[in-house]
Amino acid sequence: MTKAIWNERKVIVVTGATGGVGRGIALACAEAGWSVWIAARREKEGQAVAAEVDALGGEGHFVACDVGVPGSAAEAIATILSQEKRLDGVVHNATSGLSPVPVSLAEVGLADFQDHVHVALGALHSLARASFGALKDSHGSLLLTTSEAGFEGKAKLSPYAGVKGAQRGFARALAREWGRDGVRVNSIAPLASTPAMERAFELDPAMADRVLARNPLRRLGDATEDIGRAARFLLSDDASYVTGHTLMVDGGSCPAV
Amino acid sequence: MRNDRPLLIASQNEETSRLATSLDAEFVSLPDLTRPEIFEAWRATTIEGDVRERVIVSVWPPPIEARDLAELDANAWAHRFEEPYLLWNFALGAATKLVADGGHVVALCQAPAALDAPGRTPELAIADGVLALVRSIAAAEGRRGVRANLVTTPLGLVEGDLVAPAPPLEGFPGTIEAHVVGAVRIFLSADAEGLTGRVLSADGGRAL
Repeated sequence: MTKAIWNERKVIVVTGATGGVGRGIALACAEAGWSVWIAARREKEGQAVAAEVDALGGEGHFVACDVGVPGSAAEAIATILSQEKRLDGVVHNATSGLSPVPVSLAEVGLADFQDHVHVALGALHSLARASFGALKDSHGSLLLTTSEAGFEGKAKLSPYAGVKGAQRGFARALAREWGRDGVRVNSIAPLASTPAMERAFELDPAMADRVLARNPLRRLGDATEDIGRAARFLLSDDASYVTGHTLMVDGGSCPAV
Repeated sequence: MRNDRPLLIASQNEETSRLATSLDAEFVSLPDLTRPEIFEAWRATTIEGDVRERVIVSVWPPPIEARDLAELDANAWAHRFEEPYLLWNFALGAATKLVADGGHVVALCQAPAALDAPGRTPELAIADGVLALVRSIAAAEGRRGVRANLVTTPLGLVEGDLVAPAPPLEGFPGTIEAHVVGAVRIFLSADAEGLTGRVLSADGGRAL
């Protein structure tokens, strides 16, 4: 029997991986024995996830990265390349802390809009530029964590929905641009049980019923087993002919696709 | 006070002037998109205007050539993506305040077709972001009968030879009068009372 291609060692970096979906992606990549860099602000929490990666058979590392600060993402990529000499996958999962906060589009202030934009798109631009050369060498891939909100919009989370939609456009365009160099660009749109989702349910108590009522599988996804493994597929050579795609990993929830 | 004349909130340029003329719309200029620090004050002033049945919004940056993402430094990225995208958020926010119950909001956004997207990552990101914002407005304002839809056009984003196949219709990338105004009118009309959160690509079939 042929050994699964994704078992070959890869070097991956995941932003926003101290919890939730980012942690789930990191742990799923650990199951494949990959080297996984946890790019995050909080070292203690990042080191804890790196230890979980080790425990699952991968190689866990922490690299300091505040995606809201210009230049930080590029510095993190430089640190990884200085140690690993290669990079196979970049996952931009970090999102603004304001993401689950209900707001009216007409009442959002500049600073809050900028926070959404800097974390979701500014850091993405920086990560993409800093990693392009290495991804070209490895024929690697860039993976974005977007959301069903980026397809269908959200009545009370407009700024979040907007940047998630913008990430999809970013991926669709860059996939065509980078394809000529053998670099793939994809997105996943997860629906997972995460601290962020729990926070959103706290802020909007009716949200839990709304979310589950339209979900054919009637449950939220597990960040590692449901979401992380789907992300791992897109990062792996098993997905070597998949680019410009958004994979809905949402239990069939989003009706806008 | 309610005003029956359409309101066009847009960047001031030749295309939007022709759009205003074709729709007989009152024109409200957007602020200089390179000055985000004045966007909030602009929105506060603008929403003091009369409530309208029909509001059209179009952030239309000056022409800029296609450029690979790897060549865009942080300043170029901010200029091509962040500034116009932030302005879209403020302009659409103002539109939700100015549109009357039962009224219509139509956004007109430049968007490259996927085939023509290389070198246009910021512009396609803006277009897909605006679609999500329009759908958010449709979801939020639908309870008071407000519809929100999007028209996209590749005008201003096409240069050089096109990747095959050619667009199905001749005349690509079209003109404001012949191809864009009609799509906006469809959404603004009573014939579209059941349409919200939709997008029409006025691109001669290039997006097929």
